[in-house]
Order: sequence, then structure tokens, then C-alpha cells
Amino acid sequence: MRIKIIRLIIIILFAMIAMELVYIQAIRGQYFYRLSKNNRIRVVPLEGSRGRIKDVNGVFMADNRMAYNVVITPHDLKETDKVFRFLSEVLDTDLKTIAKRYQRDRTAPFAPVIIAEDINRRTAITIEENTYRFPSLSIQESFKRYYPLEDNSAHILGYVGKRNRTESGSFKEYGYSPQSMVGYTGIEEYYDSFLRGEVGGIQVEVNSRGQQVRLLSFKEPKKGVDLILTIDTRIQQKAQELLAARRGVAIVMDMDNGEILGLVSSPGFNPNVFMNSEDRKKISSLFYDTASPLLNRAIKGLFPPGSVFKAILATAGLNNQTISTNTTFMCNGVYQLGGMEFRCTHTHGAQNIFEAIAHSCNIYFYHLGLKLGVDTIEEYAQLFNLGHKTNIDLPYEEAGSIPSRQGRLANQKRKWYTGETLNLSIGQGDVLTTPLQLVRMMATIASDGLEVQPHVIKAMGDNFTNQFSGKRQIDIRRDVFKKVKEGLRQTVTDPTGTAADLNISNLYVAGKTGTAQSSGNQENHAWFVGYVKGEHRNVSFCVFLEHGGSSHNAVLLSRELLVYMQSEEIL
Amino acid sequence: MRRDLENKIWIYTLAIIGIGLLALYSASSVNVRVSQQVFYDQLLCVSIGLGIMYLLGNVDYRRFYDGAYIFYIVNVFLLIGVLVGGRHALGARRWLEIAGLSFQPSEFAKLALILMLGRYFSNRRPTLSFDLLSRTQIIFKGLIIPFLLTSVLMILIFKQPDLGTSILLFGVFVIMLLVSGLEYHYLLTFLGLCLMAVPFCWKFLKPYQKDRLLVFLNPNIDPLGAGYTIIQSKIAVGSGQIFGKGWLAGTQNQLNFLPERHTDFIFSVIGEEWGLLGTLLLGYFYFLLIGCCFSIAEQVKDKFGTFVVIGIVSILALQVIINIGMVLGLFPVVGITLPFISYGRSSLLIFLVMMGFLLNLSKRRTVF
Repeated sequence: MRIKIIRLIIIILFAMIAMELVYIQAIRGQYFYRLSKNNRIRVVPLEGSRGRIKDVNGVFMADNRMAYNVVITPHDLKETDKVFRFLSEVLDTDLKTIAKRYQRDRTAPFAPVIIAEDINRRTAITIEENTYRFPSLSIQESFKRYYPLEDNSAHILGYVGKRNRTESGSFKEYGYSPQSMVGYTGIEEYYDSFLRGEVGGIQVEVNSRGQQVRLLSFKEPKKGVDLILTIDTRIQQKAQELLAARRGVAIVMDMDNGEILGLVSSPGFNPNVFMNSEDRKKISSLFYDTASPLLNRAIKGLFPPGSVFKAILATAGLNNQTISTNTTFMCNGVYQLGGMEFRCTHTHGAQNIFEAIAHSCNIYFYHLGLKLGVDTIEEYAQLFNLGHKTNIDLPYEEAGSIPSRQGRLANQKRKWYTGETLNLSIGQGDVLTTPLQLVRMMATIASDGLEVQPHVIKAMGDNFTNQFSGKRQIDIRRDVFKKVKEGLRQTVTDPTGTAADLNISNLYVAGKTGTAQSSGNQENHAWFVGYVKGEHRNVSFCVFLEHGGSSHNAVLLSRELLVYMQSEEIL
Repeated sequence: MRRDLENKIWIYTLAIIGIGLLALYSASSVNVRVSQQVFYDQLLCVSIGLGIMYLLGNVDYRRFYDGAYIFYIVNVFLLIGVLVGGRHALGARRWLEIAGLSFQPSEFAKLALILMLGRYFSNRRPTLSFDLLSRTQIIFKGLIIPFLLTSVLMILIFKQPDLGTSILLFGVFVIMLLVSGLEYHYLLTFLGLCLMAVPFCWKFLKPYQKDRLLVFLNPNIDPLGAGYTIIQSKIAVGSGQIFGKGWLAGTQNQLNFLPERHTDFIFSVIGEEWGLLGTLLLGYFYFLLIGCCFSIAEQVKDKFGTFVVIGIVSILALQVIINIGMVLGLFPVVGITLPFISYGRSSLLIFLVMMGFLLNLSKRRTVF
């Protein structure tokens, strides 16, 4: 009985399908046949424009402009030779190139194939005027990314490019491939899913002359989200000018909330180069340049911190009471260990911790380093997250490394030598950090152990972001920081301090210089990492010159940068 | 009479496969996107599958009964294996590779479900429901347990994600439940509850699945994505008119218009090239084959056999109806293959195995 019911239902469903088949194929067959014959359904993808990027003052860093593309609809392409010849003439392009592009990008009869992108207005009009002769041709409007400030902030922004072919494969199944652009490096990559608009499009039925008969359907494209960054492009501009073409980094971070105000890696590049496919040579020269302009040294460059690392030792020594403010070590310019000589820059005489920081006395820190031992030094470096990513919202950050007894055993199968402790004590050897890590370390010291999360995003659309507002308190006594900060301040205020040039009127500056030896016979790396208590905000910052010689060079650049920021009332 | 039924099954199966191979040859003949390899691959599978079908027609029938639960459990593990280490294709994990051969455990799950439910329901004895206790027992043993067993497969397949097969299994479960003799008011309450759970399930769907369902309600929402497929396949079928454009002459097909035309949308190729005559003929063969199933169901005397036949017939009928309905825009695009015709090793093989079962069952009236 119940089986009969099932049988009946199946019979009814089959009958309905048969009826539908009769309806579609016999009764409306003619209509569908016509549709398939001159099948004049066109798919016109409409891009949703990519979100724009502004700096903290509302200056546009990345914007879109209208561009015109020439496209061919394969299904309407007759007299192929004539069309190609016409295009070759108008576009001033080789006939072969046009044919090649067409063959390569053709997917389905109604999926328009882009022959030339971003042609000028006049050419676009000429082609438009000739579409009556060549109905397969049409002009498509699209958005093109451009960076109004050229090479200002290129490392932060990144650039956009076409998605590579394999990725867009799934779209092709549907008969069209949108020119979807994706972000590469920087903000463009990190926030790609927000910036990216949603592709829409229309499906229209056209007559034999390519004119639209009726709109079959429409899907609205969606705009991407606009982003506002914490970056101040004025600082970027100034820092870039100061670094000129030298290899180096300048970072300015609001130490109270982790907002990056400025982050420049030099040499830079102009991201607009990537927007122009004719600039292949320029692009490849960027990739092969020995100065690595595409490398964002601020977050990806790993360098020994040199004497900047002494701030860690001072904190460690004071915190576990290995030294007190009364402890002095005698500097006579050289330290003997097992027949080896470890030198200081000067003969400083008896030094307490403040003087040792201010004068960057190596001998003092050799003594302190040996008393602490490698394990304690490593522990405190880890405490300040050196050798770890800061997790800034930029892609491809590097972690660096802090040497340790265990690491030595694991990697090189040998034990730790005492001489290495001496090297580590002055930030040499295999201790490698990114400039951003040191800026954050300085900010943490300056705010008594409260660690912030560096970030460059301020707002998405109309919403301020707060996912980076988390802070972490480092478990070190407050009075320790007070003493270390006193030493860092004396570096600037003491006329014999290594950064005496940074004693700017009406500005509280403190910090630590560093001169890190680099491998081979190349010049040393020059560091200055410090913090400023300004009238408008407190920042920590660094100036780093790769193979820049003495740290004094970094100090001089820092001074100019700070004076500028003071005059612009940023500080 | 018995021989007669057996012959019929062979004839209809071969006829449908024949039509399928011709269509597949056409779909893969001139164009770049579907390689010719697809056709030869299918041809090889057909010959292996027919062999298996013949063998299954002659094995001892009790083995199916004995192996039912084991097969079910193995299948559950295979499905878990897919989720853990399956091969990706078109945004879903559906394939598992063992010894260089890739297959779709979700296809085998169909068979596992039929055998498992067949054995389970055939062991149930009718209980009279007078008091509360026996009533809860009926609901529990006659409804909830088999539903849970089915759900395991459904959920694992849904996770792949493969919404279509998951819904199909549910359909098979409902039909077998109906045949199990569960009282109508329980059955209707159960279906009512399921209907109420639909809005709740909505949020478990992937965005693209939601899109497809919404597009089905209104194809104009997304003319470039899923809507495009429906519009184009409808044009293809319709443009075949009564006599079709001729084999290898379908413009929609040959001009690369139809996405997935060798798998889920193969019916549109048949519609375009063979016209109404072709589509009705194919439908008729399916109908006759389904008729054979019902004849067997009538004459098989043991319960397990009846349940298995009903399971097979429901899968066969549901897939044919859903697939053709999908191509004609009557159902949402859910990725259900056309039995014996769509390209796909696992799918083809499973249907031939099912036909083997039918052959076997048609040979005996009583076993136990």
C-alpha cells in the first residue's frame, strides 16, 4: 500500500518533468533557439571600487581613478584581421601582440577579452566611434589604483596587482573573468579583504548591432571599505628626505597607544610603477636592486641592536639587584678575558649606571653582563619581546633572534663561551632585532613596563578600530624603570653624553645610541632609539642607518626629525 | 517471468549508459575545458562497473545483509577521512585517495545508508501502541535511532560541503521510513518538526550555498554566477526544440557556454543535441527501470530485500528528478549527478552496484 503511494508520487513527478520538457523544448523552443542562435547575451562585469586609504589628517595615500579598457566580445568577432589591424593602428601596438593577448585571455563567447588597459581618452573615443563598423569592440570603464603621494609611505601601503591566473580560475567557469586586483604587501595586502570591492555586473541581451535590447539582470557592485591610518604623511615626507637615498629606517610611534605615526624604510619605491604594465623594466629593476628598495627594513630587516641593547642589561641588573645605583666599575679602555682584549670607545674612568648609559661605556656592561650571565640577559630580552614579532598589522614581519645557551647547543652543537656573553652585553654577535622591536622596547621602558601593540590602522570606514588597544604589563619594579630612564635622559642632557646633540629646548628627549659592528669590512650600523615627552603627545622613535658609520649620524638625523615635528606641533 | 525482469534491467541500464556515453563524447569532443580523457575514463568505468554488476547478480544474497553494518561503519570512517585529509576541488573536500585511486565516499554512503536502514528496519517487529511506554519505544526505536544513524552520514557529508547529497540521503530516509510502517501521525509530526528546523539550519550553510538557494528563488540576483548557469542551461535545453540540433552540433555546448556540462549539467547537452525526442526517451528509460524496481519490490518476499529495493528506487528516482529539475531551473543547483550519465567514477560505479543488487533480488522470491 505505502509502496504504491511512493510509486504514484514518482509517476506524478516524472509527468511534471515531462510536461516542463514539452513546454521548454516544444512550446518555447523557438524562443530559446533564437536566444542560442544569435545568442546575444553579454556579460559586463562592473567593478566595485577598491577602498581608499587616508593618513591621520585625511590626506589621500591611495585613491582610484577612472580608466578605459578596450575589449573584444569573441562571439561578435567577425573579420578578425580587420579588427586587429584597426586596433593595432589606433593603439599603436604590434599586430602580433594584440592577437596573442586575445588568444591568451579568451575564455567564453560572451566574456569580453581585454586587449588594452588604461588607454587615453582620445583613443577611447576613436574606438567608440568605430564600434558601428566593428560591433565586437567596446570600451569598458574600470577603476585604477593610484598613489597620489608617489613614493611616500610605499612600504606601508604596498601595491595592488592582478590576481594571478590560477587563482581566478573558478570565475572563468562562469564565462567571465573580472580584472580582480589584489593587494601585495603592506596595508593593501593585510587589509585586502576589507579594501576589496565586490564585483557585480549586468547581463544584457543585445541586437545584431551590439545595441542593448533589454537588461536581463543586474548585480550591484559594492565599494570596498575606506581605511584611515595612524600615519602622518608629513613625518613620512620629512623622514624620507632626511634619509635621502641612504639605507635606513625611521620610526615614530605614539608610545601611549602604539599608533605608528611614521615608518619609513629607505630606499623606497614608487608603487605607481606596479600599476603600469608598461613599466616592466622599472619593476624588475626594483626586484634586482642590491639596495633592496622593496624590503621594509623597519619590520623585516634584522640587525644587531648594538649599545641600544644595554638598556636591557641595565634593567636586568637593577631589577635583580646585581647592581645598585652606587655600583661603579672602572673603565680603563680595555677589558681582558682569557688573552682576548675587549675594547671600549674611550677611557671613561669610574662609572656608575647613569654615566655608563650616558657614555655607553662598554667596560661597565662587560662587568654587568658577566655578573648577570647569558641566561638572565636572554630572559630579560624575551621579557621585552625582542626576537619576537610585534604583530603589527603589516604582512611579512620578521622575528629575529636572541642567542641563548640552549640555542647554541641546538644549532651549533657547542657550548656557550664567556666571550660571547661580553659580545651579547653590548648587543653584538647573533642578537638580531627589527628596528620596530627596539622602538617598542623603548616605549615599554618609558611607560614603566606597559607594553603597547604597534599598529597603523586607525579606522575602517566610519568605525574606529580598537583591536590593537590591548596592553601588557611587564613584571618589573617601577623604581627600576625610573633609574634606567634617568640614565637614558642623561645620554641627552649630559654634555659628554653620546646624544648630547638631542638636547633640544622645550623638548624632553631621552634614549640610547648604538653603533653595531657589521660583518666584513663594511661600515657599522648607526642607531638612535629614544622617546620624547612632547606637549601634544609622547612618542618613542628610532633612526637607523644601515652601514651608516658612527651612531652620531643617527643622532643628527634624529635631531632634525624631532625639531621638524616640534615645529609642526606634532610633538 | 523472472528472466524477463532480469533482461529488462540489463536493457534499460545499457540504453541509458549508451545515451550517456554519446552525450559525454559530445561534451568533451571539440573543446578545451573538458578533456577527451573524461570520455575514455568513463568508458573504462562502464566496463568495470558492468562486470561488477554481473558478479553481484550471482553472489549469495545474505552477504549483503551480513555486511550491512560493517559497510556503514567503514563508510563513516571514510567520510571522516575525507574531512581530515581529502582532496580539494572546487572549494570542497569530497575525494579521498587510496592507492592512487581517488573516489568519493559520499557516493558510497548512499549504498551504506540503504543497506544499513534495510537491515535495521527489517529487524523491527510491529509493536502495538497502547500504553505510553510502548509508544515511546516505537518513537525511539522506529524513528529516532534510524534518524540518528542517518544523521551521522548526512552531517559528515554536509561538512564537505555537499548539501545536495546530504538532502538526498534525508529523502531516502523518509521514504524508507514510510515503508517501514511507522504510523502516519508519527511520520507527519517528524516531517513537521524537520520543516520547522529549516530556518535554524540556514545559518549552517556556506555563503555560496545560500547564494545558490536564493538564486534559485530569483535567478536574476546573480546573473554572473549561479544564475548564469541556470539561464544558460535552460537556453541550451530549450534551443534543442523537438528534434535537437544533432549530435556534436549543440552550439551552447560546443561554444563553452555550459559550466559543469560533463558532470551535473550533462542533461542540457542531451536536451540541446537530441531535442525533446531525446529527453523524453531518456526519461522513459529511467521510468521503465524504476518500474522494474517496483515489480521486484512486489515479488520479493523477505523484508530486507524489499527495503533495499525501495532504497535503490528512491535514490534513482530522486537523483533523476532533482538533476533534471536543476537543469531546467525547477530546483536549486545543489550538485546532484544524473544516474549512469554524469561523469564521475564513484557515482557511476555505485549505480551499477545497485543494479547488481536488483539483478540479484529479481532472481529469488524467498530466501529466509
